[in-house]
Amino acid sequence: MKTDRNAVEFRLSLALLALVALIPAAVSNPYWLGVIIVSMYFALLAAGWNLLAGYTGQFSMAPACFAMIGAYASGLLSYHWNVSPWIGLPAAIIVSAAIGMVLGRIVMRLRGPYLALTTLSFAEIMRLVIGNSYSFTRGDLGLNVPGLFDSRLVYYYVFVGVLVAVQTGLFLLLRTKAGLYLRAIRDDEIAAASRGVDVVFWKTAAFTMSTAMSGLAGALYGGFSQLVSPELGLIAQTGLVICMVVIGGIGSLIGPLLGAFLVYASSEALREVGGVQLIVFSFLVIVFARFYREGLWGLAKRAFMRKPA
Amino acid sequence: MSCLSISEVRKSFGGLHAVDGVSFDVDYGELIGLIGPNGSGKTTLLNILSGHQPPDSGQVLLDGRPIHRLKPEQIAQAGLLRMFQLTRVFRRMSAFDNLLTAGRALGLDHAEAIARARQLIEELTLTRVRDLDAGQLSGGQQKLLEFGCCFMRPPKIALLDEPFAAVHPTMKETLAGFIRKHHAEGQTFLIVSHDMPVIVELCPRTVCMNAGSVIADELTRAVLNDPVVIEAYLGGEVAA
Repeated sequence: MKTDRNAVEFRLSLALLALVALIPAAVSNPYWLGVIIVSMYFALLAAGWNLLAGYTGQFSMAPACFAMIGAYASGLLSYHWNVSPWIGLPAAIIVSAAIGMVLGRIVMRLRGPYLALTTLSFAEIMRLVIGNSYSFTRGDLGLNVPGLFDSRLVYYYVFVGVLVAVQTGLFLLLRTKAGLYLRAIRDDEIAAASRGVDVVFWKTAAFTMSTAMSGLAGALYGGFSQLVSPELGLIAQTGLVICMVVIGGIGSLIGPLLGAFLVYASSEALREVGGVQLIVFSFLVIVFARFYREGLWGLAKRAFMRKPA
Repeated sequence: MSCLSISEVRKSFGGLHAVDGVSFDVDYGELIGLIGPNGSGKTTLLNILSGHQPPDSGQVLLDGRPIHRLKPEQIAQAGLLRMFQLTRVFRRMSAFDNLLTAGRALGLDHAEAIARARQLIEELTLTRVRDLDAGQLSGGQQKLLEFGCCFMRPPKIALLDEPFAAVHPTMKETLAGFIRKHHAEGQTFLIVSHDMPVIVELCPRTVCMNAGSVIADELTRAVLNDPVVIEAYLGGEVAA
């Protein structure tokens, strides 16, 4: 019998996160620890977007928008009502998931470019509303929010822990009937419905889970950076998430993690060269989309399979 | 009460009456052929029966219960399963997972779905390819797989749209053998096909459609000798 692909990818993603967990033993520079923390924020967004695009075939253009919603949900509670960020964190997940579910009920009846365009429009509307509601959100000035922890190292391991939990959750989800239904919908919605799968329900469920993950990522990132601004929801941020998933390997458990770490670390390395990062990543996306649809993870698998025993 | 009852079903696309007042019943355990020239409305009728297109008017009863306003997944769960003319499988999932998905969605628990999928994989001679992605299977194997998905939980009625088109003779025989066996056990089928020898061999009764309407509905031999059918179907040439 064939090896369980998800189990292999899950074990490798845990191994990758174990390696990441060891980095602070060798690297103490706060700047590079910060770079890896931000990479992990993007890895959470990438894993959530991959659940939707890679496993369910629904191309949302709003992962960064839902991170912004999560960050603002937690930040506004703290700013206006002095609510502890520890309550703000679950509130961020609930608010993002609730908005995601309502939007999901509307957009999940759409397909292909219409779904992408609708989510893109929603993301821009949300960003502009937040940016222009100065009296409530402080607009483009952003909100100062209290941190969750004092130490950067604690943030580092919290992000590692959350990523382990998310990967485990995704792995377990994919082993259930929900995993079968989501992949069936990705491959052929009409066939899925004809075999008894409630397509709209499961697409909405995937959208809700994905937006909840984005909201969690946004709230954690807000606590880490202690500043929440509409820039979190920029379409360029969503572009970066898509680059990470496509380059790492869409529709796999490990691809989004690989992509997030490689793309964000390279982005920082390229920072000194000037604003060429997005040009390089966009070019790479074109190359991968044209020649290597399975991304770096697919290339690694092929290389491994060719290797003589 | 019939297994499937179709009454005065109509569907138009602009000025084209694709299905124009179609009525017929399918009794429990019947195996009915549905024939007609291209564009006669057979596939549109199947789309209405399986919930992929709502009828403009008329009603469809499955087991006495109206289904013409239900969604495709509700109709599938009610027991009407459908195979498509252009094969539809989950291409990036293994053949086995294709069957499991159908089984779970139709209400089987995990253990039941695995046991039934194993049984069907063997019965449909797909053992060697069970772990391959369905997209890697040959056209005939994909047809067999899609067919198997309809039988993960034996349906009240199976609608098969051109199940024998472009299928290797060996696989055609596997499919026909499966249909014969299950029909003998009481399974109800409605088969759309242009393959007349197969219709003659398998279906005691045949319904013929032309221009959206039923033009004949009787014993297969009688339908094939009906001058109206010959004119519509064979362009006026009388079969030998």
